[in-house]
Amino acid sequence: MSVDIQLAPAIHFKAGEPSAKPGRGGTLAASALRAGSLLAFVAILLVFSLTAPYFLSVGNIGNVLGQSAISGVLAIGLTIVLIAGGSNVVTGGIDLSLAANMGLSAAVYATAAQLGYGDAAAVAAALLTGLLIGAVNAIAVVGAGIVPLLATLAVMNIVAGLELVLTQNTVIPASTPLLNALSSSGPLGIPALAYVLLVFTLIAAAFVQYTPTGLRLYAVGEFPDAARAAGLPVRRLVAGAFIASGLCGGFAGVLSVSNLSGSTTGSGEMLLPVVVTALLGSVFSRRLVPTVTGTLLSALFVGFLINGFQLLNISSVLVSGVQGVLILLVVSATTLLRRQEA
Amino acid sequence: MTQEKAAPNVGRRDLLKLSAVAGAALAGASLIGNRTAAAADGELSLKGKRIGISATGTDHFFDLQAYNAQIEEVKRLGGEPIAVDAGRNDGKLVSQLQTLIAQKPDAIVQILGTLSVIDPWLKKARDAGIPVLTVDVGSTHSINNTTSDNWGIGKDLALQLVSDIGGEGNIVVFNGFYGVTPCAIRYDQLVNVVKYFPKVKILEPELRDVIPNTVQDAFTQITALLNKYPEKGSIKAIWSAWDIPQLGATQALTAAGRTEIRTYGVDGSPEVLQLVADPNSPAGADVAQQPAEIGRTAIQNVAKLLAGQTLPRETYVHALIANKANVNEVTKKLGIG
Repeated sequence: MSVDIQLAPAIHFKAGEPSAKPGRGGTLAASALRAGSLLAFVAILLVFSLTAPYFLSVGNIGNVLGQSAISGVLAIGLTIVLIAGGSNVVTGGIDLSLAANMGLSAAVYATAAQLGYGDAAAVAAALLTGLLIGAVNAIAVVGAGIVPLLATLAVMNIVAGLELVLTQNTVIPASTPLLNALSSSGPLGIPALAYVLLVFTLIAAAFVQYTPTGLRLYAVGEFPDAARAAGLPVRRLVAGAFIASGLCGGFAGVLSVSNLSGSTTGSGEMLLPVVVTALLGSVFSRRLVPTVTGTLLSALFVGFLINGFQLLNISSVLVSGVQGVLILLVVSATTLLRRQEA
Repeated sequence: MTQEKAAPNVGRRDLLKLSAVAGAALAGASLIGNRTAAAADGELSLKGKRIGISATGTDHFFDLQAYNAQIEEVKRLGGEPIAVDAGRNDGKLVSQLQTLIAQKPDAIVQILGTLSVIDPWLKKARDAGIPVLTVDVGSTHSINNTTSDNWGIGKDLALQLVSDIGGEGNIVVFNGFYGVTPCAIRYDQLVNVVKYFPKVKILEPELRDVIPNTVQDAFTQITALLNKYPEKGSIKAIWSAWDIPQLGATQALTAAGRTEIRTYGVDGSPEVLQLVADPNSPAGADVAQQPAEIGRTAIQNVAKLLAGQTLPRETYVHALIANKANVNEVTKKLGIG
């Protein structure tokens, strides 16, 4: 317990204060990148609001929030893994099974609903599916010591295969009171999913950014040796991150069923946008590290970008390309800055 | 339509009887439909109108032709198209529909899509006061659905198949998308026709075609099946509700040297029509829809609706069956030959 009390403020200090960084040039560059990314966000919003009709309407903003809910929840799950595993794209934390997890969890929910089970049982089944997938990832990474990139890639294939077996590659329609409530509009005519995303982000951010456990996750991800030396349960924390991520996949599965009125094929296509969102989230944090709120901003950034493109009648074919360019810019900028810091 | 001419192996009386039975549904359906572009085109205008065009995907010949023709037709009639392509991703399709609804266009035309996924959003569009029309998807929230006559397509294809195999033998069926209405109608018509030929048997289990990688998957499934039925004559034909599985199946038959088996499909994709035209290829027939004409007709229907005309529930656009005898003629008619 004494370790917790001593360690938490120290890490909080490092994670929160730019002045604690050794390289002054790196700090300036990091600040510039962060300010630049926020400016870019604002500039894009401004350009779209001036050029695209309806962009600033409450209904449209609500739509973007609602449309970002599923990818946002998944990206927050991935963010937790990125925090605990470190942000090295190859050897650090990554969970490639998240999109497939959402697909299988959605299929489980829709199947349970079709079999006549109530919402409570169907939600429990979907969340349990997500948890199990997270647990398999945790065992593969922490227990067997496989690099997360490979472990979760393998799990992704297994999960996608299971989804195919369960659904026979067809759509499973589902309609329940909970699904109807989730797909309806809430106050101000804004989709209920938008509120779900905001509440989920608040809870996740409170847990990850402001509890000792969350701070330990940062310690484990950034300085695993130091964390181990300080007596932190490194393996348990990393495993916990994968399980939390799996739970996010299960939760996103429920949201997906409500959005699509059932489970449908093609969930794997969510993977790239989710990885882009989580990695892009770093530029919205003070120290270029993954944060839950940064990921939310990033999800909204990508959401507004896609939405603005559509409102301006620009081909949706370009959107994937733009996402690719964004991830390339962000990963290269953060890599360069980190190298400078070292 | 030259299907009667191309049916030498079935007696004329059989054919007449069969046409009467299998065409019963068609007769009923055509009563509520009308033919393409009946009104004088010169009167139609979409000047100052914004028309949302939402396509499930444009990776298939049919989708792309219908999508492009719609965009061009809206422009030709003086309107502004707001066109979105979901790339066959249901999540993206729903998001795009939501954004389209927020833009409050004068009408939305939805091209294909899984009914259970799109229906709630088409309803929301209607609730928001936006008229919704569809192409090839019979939603209850759609004012008008422009489509091929799938009862006719299913009947023509089934009769051609039965005729080509001399009214007897095993047939393999790809039935992966029974949830998609046009596929279901075509399949039901096959079953209706086969019912009157007791020597024709649909092999169990039926195969399931998939998206994506349809061609490769059909190739693999048929190759495996040929190993299960190695004797020539043990399978007479392979049927699918669209022609991309037919493409994979035809390739598998050619690779395995089992060109005595004939393949059948729907849509008139150029690569499949080419195979039908090849006398050495096992591709037996492909019913060609006229997607560009379907697209144009749907937009003309929008213009009619906005001009205050009442639309029929369904508008049918003629489909052409291409078999070994007439494929060149059909290809020319489609403008892709």
